Amino acid sequence: MGYVAAGYSFAFGGLALYALSIWWRGRRAKH
Amino acid sequence: MIKQLSQRLLGPVTLLCLALTFWLGLWVTPPDRIQGNLVRLLYVHPAVAWVALYVSFGTATIASILYLWKRTRSFTMDRIAHCAMEVSVVFIVLTLITGSIWGRPTWGVWWAWDARLTSTAILGVLAVGYLALRRANDDSTLRARRSAVFAILSAINVPIIHFSVQWWKTLHQGATVFTSNRQLLVHGSMAWTLLLSFVGFTLLFFWLLRARYRLEVLRESTQQMMLDEALLLRQREGVM
Repeated sequence: MGYVAAGYSFAFGGLALYALSIWWRGRRAKH
Repeated sequence: MIKQLSQRLLGPVTLLCLALTFWLGLWVTPPDRIQGNLVRLLYVHPAVAWVALYVSFGTATIASILYLWKRTRSFTMDRIAHCAMEVSVVFIVLTLITGSIWGRPTWGVWWAWDARLTSTAILGVLAVGYLALRRANDDSTLRARRSAVFAILSAINVPIIHFSVQWWKTLHQGATVFTSNRQLLVHGSMAWTLLLSFVGFTLLFFWLLRARYRLEVLRESTQQMMLDEALLLRQREGVM
């Protein structure tokens, strides 16, 4: 199950981090 | 009205589809007879790869073609191509990582220089190269034209990736969802979860593209504002 947990963490976590980076860059561009 | 509604619903529907994929994939669907629990990775990896290769790279390529075509040429197309390519890089990296995590217990290796894996890695390098090329040009028209040509040339790799499992003897398996006679090989909750993952990740791509596009517009307007302010300052200096 460790491989499954790693796969899901990378996929969902990676995409969440990318979404967060867009939000962060947007905040920086505004200020 | 419909456009407004679809824009408002995109985020919640995407989140719902992905949450359902997560829940069904990890807890509801049964383990596979041969792969056991590892089959759960297949509710993520193929859908991520689908978005990486076809949806996002495809969007970037189509937008690049539309930019080069005189009738539809606009910086909106260039912006869409740029944003879709950035999203594509993220999805390509995740395709390689999730594939590698599945490959280790299944094939016994994290990586193999097999045709499907290598051509996908090359696509990743090309997508990063596209983003680097954009940074190398200050002239916006030249940058848009050069990167559009680069994106179209890079897209030649997509059919190579698609048919690589047929053209070469690869470790990566061929089509596993449908047979050559278009008959479904996956059934029941497994099939529904797989379908839902494709829908969820595709919607997520459009949500990310919209957010990234808005950021690009914001950045451009901020740069323009700063430029205007600098020009005004220089003009005042001249008067004084």
